[in-house]
Parts: sequence; C-alpha cells; structure tokens
Amino acid sequence: MSIVAKETIEVIAQSIGINNLSDDAALSLAPDVEYRMREIMQEAIQCMRHSRRTILTTDDVDGALNLRNVEPVYGFTSGGPLQFKRAIGHRDLFYIDDRDVDLKEVIEAPLPKAPLDTGVACHWLAIEGVQPAIPENAPVGVIAAPSNGNTHEQKDELPVDIRLPVKHVLSRELQLYFDKITELTLRKSDSALFKEALVSLATDSGLHPLVPYFTFFVADEVSRGLNDYSLLFALMRIVWSLLQNPHIHIEPYLHQLMPSVVTCLVSKKLGNRIADNHWELRDFTAKLVALICKRFGHVYNTLQTRLTKTLLNALLDPKRALTQHYGAIQGLAALGPNVVRLLILPNLEPYLRLLEPELLLEKQKNEMKRYEAWRVYGALLRAAGQGIYERLKIFPPLPSPPGHTIWKSKEKVVTAVPNKRKASMEPLEDEPALKKIATDGPIGSLALVTTLAPSGQNDAGQPSSSEKKTANRVGKDGQTLKKSAILNQIWKDDLNSGHTLVTLLELLGEGILSFIPSPEMSLFL
Amino acid sequence: MENMQAVNSFVAAYLKKKGFKEAEQLLEDLHSKDSAAPIDFHNDPDLAKFIHHFSQSEDEVARYQDGYSKLRSWTYSSLDLYKHELLRVLYPVFIHSFMDLVAKGHLQEARTFFNAFHEDHQLMHSRDLQKLEGVLSQSHLEEMEFARSLRQNKVNVKICQYSYDLLLQYLHKTQSSAMLGVINEHINFQATSGQPGSISDDIEVVTLIGSCQDAANQINQKEIHWGLLEDSLEERSEKEGGLLSDSEKTEGENKEGDAEESKKRSAEGGKQGSSTKKLKKDKAVNATAKSTRLEAKTTSSAPRVKPELTLPIMSTEVEQSILEDLRNRVQLSSIALPSVSFYTFLDTHNGLNCSSISHDGSLVAGGFSDSSLKVWDTAKLGQQTGGATLQGENDSTSSEHVVRPNGVKRSYTLFQGHSGPVYSATFSPLGDFILSSSADTTIRLWSTKLNANLVCYKGHNYPVWDVQFSPVGHYFASASHDRTARIWAMDRIQPLRVMAGHLSDVDCVQWHANCNYIATGSSDRTVRLWDVQSGECVRIFIGHRSMILSLAMSPDGRYMASGDEDGTIMTWDLSSGRCVTPLMGHTSCVWTLAFSCEGTLLASGSADCTVKLWDVTTSTKAPRNEEKSGNPNRLRSLKTLPTKSTPVYSLQFSRRNLLFAAGVLSKKV
Repeated sequence: MSIVAKETIEVIAQSIGINNLSDDAALSLAPDVEYRMREIMQEAIQCMRHSRRTILTTDDVDGALNLRNVEPVYGFTSGGPLQFKRAIGHRDLFYIDDRDVDLKEVIEAPLPKAPLDTGVACHWLAIEGVQPAIPENAPVGVIAAPSNGNTHEQKDELPVDIRLPVKHVLSRELQLYFDKITELTLRKSDSALFKEALVSLATDSGLHPLVPYFTFFVADEVSRGLNDYSLLFALMRIVWSLLQNPHIHIEPYLHQLMPSVVTCLVSKKLGNRIADNHWELRDFTAKLVALICKRFGHVYNTLQTRLTKTLLNALLDPKRALTQHYGAIQGLAALGPNVVRLLILPNLEPYLRLLEPELLLEKQKNEMKRYEAWRVYGALLRAAGQGIYERLKIFPPLPSPPGHTIWKSKEKVVTAVPNKRKASMEPLEDEPALKKIATDGPIGSLALVTTLAPSGQNDAGQPSSSEKKTANRVGKDGQTLKKSAILNQIWKDDLNSGHTLVTLLELLGEGILSFIPSPEMSLFL
Repeated sequence: MENMQAVNSFVAAYLKKKGFKEAEQLLEDLHSKDSAAPIDFHNDPDLAKFIHHFSQSEDEVARYQDGYSKLRSWTYSSLDLYKHELLRVLYPVFIHSFMDLVAKGHLQEARTFFNAFHEDHQLMHSRDLQKLEGVLSQSHLEEMEFARSLRQNKVNVKICQYSYDLLLQYLHKTQSSAMLGVINEHINFQATSGQPGSISDDIEVVTLIGSCQDAANQINQKEIHWGLLEDSLEERSEKEGGLLSDSEKTEGENKEGDAEESKKRSAEGGKQGSSTKKLKKDKAVNATAKSTRLEAKTTSSAPRVKPELTLPIMSTEVEQSILEDLRNRVQLSSIALPSVSFYTFLDTHNGLNCSSISHDGSLVAGGFSDSSLKVWDTAKLGQQTGGATLQGENDSTSSEHVVRPNGVKRSYTLFQGHSGPVYSATFSPLGDFILSSSADTTIRLWSTKLNANLVCYKGHNYPVWDVQFSPVGHYFASASHDRTARIWAMDRIQPLRVMAGHLSDVDCVQWHANCNYIATGSSDRTVRLWDVQSGECVRIFIGHRSMILSLAMSPDGRYMASGDEDGTIMTWDLSSGRCVTPLMGHTSCVWTLAFSCEGTLLASGSADCTVKLWDVTTSTKAPRNEEKSGNPNRLRSLKTLPTKSTPVYSLQFSRRNLLFAAGVLSKKV
C-alpha cells in the first residue's frame, strides 16, 4: 500500500536490535514512516528554497531534521553528489556505493588543493536594455537554425571552443556549400571538381562561419577513416587549402586540427592497400605541419615545442613501426634545419644502429619491411643532409671585395651590436663561416670569396650587406681588440660543425656528400 | 446517523409487535428510499445526509471509485460551453473522496483511487497532491494541517446557474449517492445567473478553504492608506523642481505645509501641479520622459499619509546626496530600459544562500551556508581582477581587509558570528549597517564602518528566513519558520510587534513605501499585509499556487508584486486586495523582484537564469481605462536578459535607476 514495504520496517527493526517485531506492528508502522518521510522531505524542500537552490542536497535534509529537533543523519554530507547503484536483480532497488577507506591512506595522502576563495566579478548585463556582446553574457539568442544534419554537429563540437553551446546560424548557401564539399571529399576526392573545391576553399572570403564545421569534419573523418588513404589525403588537402585562405581566421581551431594532422603524419597505418602511397601523404602532411608552425608558431609559442616533442617521442621509441619513424623524421625535417640539428643529429648514431639490421638483405627477409627501412634511411639522409647544407651554405655570404678587411670588421660588429645579430635570420651560423675564413688563412678565404661571389645566397646576403655598411663605418680602429678571444670561440663552433659533418659522413656514407655545396666540400675534404 | 437509528428502532418495534412480515417490511424500506431520491437534496440537508449515510452501508469503496470515474467522463463529454465550469467541481470532489476513503479506513483503496485519477489535477495542484499523497491513515488526516482545514471547511465553487442545474440533473439521474454525498458535504456552490464565465479568470473561482476566503474578503474590506508619506524627499525634490538652491528653505516650507496643504494638493489633482512642474522641468527632461512622468503623476495622486512610526532624523549631507541622486535619476519607461550591472559570485561551492546589494550598489553582501557573511566593496573589484599579486601593495586600504593569520588578505570583509546558514541579508538605506538572519534563529546587526557585530536580536524560535530594513532605516522586519513576522527597531533587542496569522512559514517580508505596512509572503500561498502600528492583518491576497518567494512594493505605494516557486509573478492592487495581472514568463523560482524608482518597470530575477523587465504601467493602468477590453496589452514582458548560467539572487534599483543584479555562477550538471 505505502511505498515503504512491511519488509523494510522489519529490516530496520532488526538493524536496531528488535528481532520479534510483529507483523501487525510493521504493517501499521509502514504508512506512518512514509508520512514522516514525506513531511521531512517537504521541509527539506523549504530549506532548499531558502538556500536559493533548485537541487535538493543532504544539507537540506539535515536542516529539516534540525527543525524537528531530530539528530541529523551523519556521513552523507561530505564530497560530491551521492552515487547510487542499482542492486543486481532488482529493478527499483538502489544503494549507495560506500567503499571502505583505509585511514592510513587518507592520512598519508597529500593534502588536496585548497578550494578557490569566493570572489565577485562585475559586468554589464545590459546597457539601456541592450545586452553587450561580452564573454560574461550569455551569447545572444539567435533564431534557431533550420534543423538538418548540421544541428547535430553544432551541439557536439562547439562547446569545445566556447564555454557555452552557441547557436550558429548558417545561411542556406553555406550549408549547401558545406554539404557539397564534404560529399566531394568523401566520394570523389580525385575528381577535377575536388581540385576546384580546394581552390575555392583557399580563396573564397565568406567561408569563415564554416571553419568550425570543417575542423570538426576533418577531425571526425580522420579518426574514422584511417584506412582510407584517398580520404585522408583529401582531408589534408582541405586543411592545406583552409590554411591558405587569407580570409579565414583559423587560429582558434588549430588545437582541434593538430591532432588529426599529426595522426596523418605518424600513424602506424594509413590506408589499407599496399598500393596506397602513404609516404606521399606523410610528406605532404609534413609540409602542412611546417606551414602551420611557420604561420602560428609565434602566436602559440608552445605549438612547436609540443609538436617536436610528440614527433621526437615517436622517433625515439623503438617499438613504433618504421612508418611512424618515417613520418616523425619527415615532420622534424620540415620544421627546419635547426630542429634537425638539435633533435635528429644527436640521435642519429644510436638510431642508425637500430636501423641497420633492417636495411640488410640477409637480416631482414621481409621485402616490405626492408623497403620501409630504406625509406626511413632515405628520409634520415635527406633530413641530415638538408640540415648540414643549410649550415654550410651560409658560409659564403661575402660577395664583397677583400675578404681580409671584411672579416675583421665583421668581428667588430659581432661585439658591438650583438642585438642586431640576433635579429637576423640565422645569426650564429655566421660565426663559423668567419672563423673558417680566418683559420684557413687569407689565401684560402680569398679564393673562396672569389669563387662564390657570383652565386651569392639570398638569405645571408642581405644581412651581410647591411652589416658591411656598419662595418665600414666602424672602421678599422681597434680591430685587434678581443679578437683573439672571439676567434677562439668561433673556432670551437667551427670544429663542431666540422665534427658533425665528419660523423655524418661516417654514418651515412657518401650519400651525404651530395647535400654539401661543392665549395664547402672542397674546403673540408 | 440519528435518522438511521430512528428507522431501525421503529422497524424493530414493528417486528416485535407483529412477529413476521419481514418481506413486506423490506419492500416498504425500499419504497421509502426510492421516494426519497427525487427530493432536492440541497433543500433538505437532513434527508440528503440520511441517504448519504444509508448508501455507506453498502460497498461504498466501489461507489467512490465508480461514481468519480462516471462523473469525470460525464464532465469531459459535456458541452464545451459548460465544460470548464463543470471541471472545477472535479478537483474538490476528488480530494474529498480520497480523504473520505482514508477517513473510513480503506487505505489500500484510497491509494488506488488516488493513483487512478490524480494525473488530471497534477498540472494545477501538484503541490497539494504531493502533500495529500502522504496521507495514509486517519491520524494523518487529523495531524496534517492542510488536510484538517480542508475537512473543516467547504469549498466555494462559482458556477453559472445552468451548469449547476446540469450537474444536479446528472447526479439525480445516475443515483451516484457517493458523489452526491461528497458534493453535498464539502462543496458550497455559488450559482450565478447568466452566461458561464470565461476560462481565463479562474483565480478565485475555486477556493478550497471557503471560510478562509470569507475571512479574507472581510479583512480586505478594511481601509488602508497606501499614500506616500507626506514630506518625503521625493516630494520635496519634485517641489523644488529644477532649482538647485538651498534645500533649507524648501524644508521650512514643507514643515509649514502640513496635512491641509497636502489635502489641497490632492484635491486639485495632479493635472495642474504637473503642468506647472512640466513647465519648470522642460529643459531638464526630454519629451518621452515627460509624457511618462505626466502619466505617473496623474495616477499617483493619492492622499499623503502621516508616518505612524517616529522616523529617524536624516542628516543634511545625506539628504543632499539623496536629492542629488533624485535629480540625476534616469527616467525609465517601456522605451527607455535601464542599464543592468551584474555582480557574479564565483567559487561559492554551492554555499551562497542569499545576496544583497546596497542602494548605491557600492557594497555587495553574500550570506553563506557556512554561517558567514561576506561583504565586497565593489569599488575594489576592479583591482582584484587586475591581479591578486597587487593586493599586497594597497596597504592604504588594508584596514578594511581582514588579515588572516598567515597574512594573506581577502578581497572581502568577513563577518562571523552566526551559528547556522545565513538565509538573508539586507543593507540599511544608507549602507552603513547590514542585517543578517540565520538558521540559528537570530538576527545580527553589523556595521560596515566598524566591520563588527553590533547587536544580536533573539526572539524567533525557528530559523529566520528573511529580514528587511524599512525604507527609512532604523526599523526592520523579519520572517520566520515559526509562522510569525516581527517588527524590530535597531535600538531594542526585543521585537516591537509580532504578526501572527499565517498558516505556514513566513518566507519573505517587505516594507510598504510609507513604512506603515509590511507585506509577508508565506508557504500557505497567501500574501498578507499588516499594519505596523496595530499589528493587525489588513489584507490577504489569495491566488498563488505555490510558496511565495519574493515581494516588492511599488514606490507609489499602490501596487505590490509577488513571485512564487512556479515562476508566476502577480501584481496586486493594495486598496482592493485584488490581483491586477499575473505575469507569466519565468519557468522557475522567482527569487527577487524590484520596482524601478518611479514605478514604471518591474524587474524580476529567477532561477531560470534570466532577468525580466515588465511594463507595469500598461499592465496596471490599461485595464482601468478600457475595462478589460484590451486584453493583449495587459501583461507586457518588455525584455528578457539571459545571464550565463547564473541564477539571479537579488535585484536592486539605485536611486538613479541603475539596476544592480547579483547571482552565483552555477555549473550546469
């Protein structure tokens, strides 16, 4: 009759030591128990209302018991909401999962972080009846978008960016555009139309409202379609195009895009057919990564470090597949020679040792594996080579008359205006160059300068010419000052690069030589 | 019962005399029953009662269930014109049938009966049903106040004559004596001639506790003087108009101009006065503001009243500043909405019970369930957000910050002293005092200048739900779980008046603009108006369907607004005691209400995370002009301002009509 069953009363009676409660007593107690319980809950609701809440808590029940001079129920006030569990085999029976706590553990556990103290913040909810569009206010309610597939995506994805779910309104045209593009990506990514679509994505100015949808689309499809090579490539192309578009403000969505992009770079398996040229995809993605880092690295200064860390982890983990290593190497290489020099070269030797058995015909019988290994080796070679090339090609930035005066005055500049040096693109690289010239003696350097003068490099050429001017102005006075100290320092650098080159030679054999600009090679060899 | 016994004894005597002919006797019995049926029960209550009890001897349980379900289906299939009137009868019949069953001990059957039909009434009466559902034995009926008052009183139902006839005919025809009995015993029909009423105005059509309604009607006959205080600052500022000259002169003038003058002023009506005023103010206010002003003027020309309390004396500087504020007040209307400054409480860990904002918005107080009261100086809020590290530097203000043992300064002033959750806090009009009420049954007075507790007022026996300073300060009113409201003065530790009469907790309290009355809202779903001087109840406002959570008085003293748990706001005309308009729109508890300073707008803050602005001028004044003809314009929600998942705990219009709001950021689960 009442929701409190007779059996409940009996159990409660037993729990407080009354074993022989008669049936009649239990039967007549049950409705009364229910009545009292309802009374207390009603008062608890009253307490809840006065605490300005709409969710009933155990505190309210305690408050209600307090009003009736009943001792509160202990043991339920701490912590968050109570976790009820369904009793197995019963439909409507729940119990509180109350685990035994080892007191020793509690005592030894580190103190939890102190909760933040209460504060008050002030903002304008409305100014003369109009709500300003500031983050403190709820986003202005817009007319709900027409219900179609998009609404689902809105709900799923937008809270990631903005704290509250916002209703976007997409025009019909944009919706159609989005649908079309996604369909093309999924179905006909090799058609000419898709290429047109990519161009449109890269140039059209009105696409910004679609960016969240595209990022979500890419993330979603990448996670689902790892086996579909052409899809992945199409998706990466979309990302590339979006990055190219000057009218799109993609920054806020980068953190959503990056995981998918990195996945396409270092995933173990991309595509499920052998014919799938996943190497190409990895190369492309590596370029993409480099582009992102170049464009947004200064805004998100953690972007590159995080990325390199991820890639390096992939590279240095011997358990990872060779394909993953390949992706990591390509990614790192694309990030520039500095990254290569700092991260790949130091690890080159141990890694090659690891790679070697895979390369040899007699040790690795699996054709496919060996092919992969050679691929990795090739990538490594290219990366190292590029790194060293970038370094060496900066040596000859002196397309100017007598090398002797130049390098002397230049050292002057080094000491006088270090800031300026830092500002230039590859400041430190210049020093070994000078040193080399210095140590090789005037004859050698002169020869070098003369040979390289016509083919002056753009990168280094510009700063050097400007420096030259200042150098000339500074004149030749005090040339000898500190010169010896600086020379020593530069010597060391030079030796280092010399050493790297030598180790590279040892490790990679002749292959590396093709990367070294011929004049420098002649210098070293 | 007596009739039954009489018949029985008569039969017994007859049998004894004759010794046989039982069959004949039975026949006669039946005959008497049949002949009794067509008689109009309502004209002959004794007989009806007899028949009612007679029927009980049979299997009455099934009769209730059966009778009610038949009555229900008949009602639902009746003509649309009369249907909604007949539907009104169902609910009282339902609850009384249920209670009858319980009272007779058929508990199991009562429960099944309840479960079978309670959904019909869930929409309108969910709270009552919740209460009644728990009633499971006769003793509960006795014990539960709500049930007892229901049993002891008749339900008043207004119904048109034709519907009434229809109902009677049906009851006669179907011979459902159980239903007839219930209706006869517990329902008091007020048959009205003419057409059936419309569905909309059903507020007072069914009043469950009839005698209560009668009492209310009687009480509401009493005269109240809702006019503003004579010699109030507003009046003075109006009088002095655009002149910024010495207020002393006007003050003296005012003192001379006593009751006589005010009478005269009211007699000549607002028109003249306002027109002259208009001339004066032409340069100051723009055209729209003027027109609203004009309107407000013509309607609020009520007789000024004398204060019944000795009012505290205001210093001239304070007076000056208030006058300054009044001069700089922004005129609000339906087309000139206020600016709203919102104070959001962060990281309260579900502990904030109430908040309060001082009249000038410079201080914000929060009452917490950990017994503390915290006060923030809003002028310093900006600095805090600038950086917590900066706090160490502003040593000049350190006196206002409580320094903790470890030397870390808080951004607020902490007031500790209560020993239970703080349920309410209120600032004195000048912001130099705070009152807080708590579950520990006490009210404490704090000084914001000294940052210390000054007085602890003990008097209530149960948690004090609400406390409010009077508009002039010094006096304050409190509302408690002990079903009383009390009036206090700051310098007395005992209450000056105790207002008893509510049937359940008094949940909120509010002062009338002229300080002669207080209004209290209660869990018994009524709002009462009390005379402060006599302590008598002078108005009962019936109409809410759930617990009343917030009250506000219009600054012209004519209207009152009350908000309840369901999100309904009602505006009441104090002089008539009638509801002017229900304002529907909120979907959850209305925690707070505030009238703008000239009374044209009503702001409401709710648990549904919105602040709504309502146009009170159209909702209250239109009906008088066109007498119910212009329905669509009657209730106007001007603007809904959604917050970012922040339930609005308190609202406060500054004297310059800037709206302050406060709420706590709550994370959505």
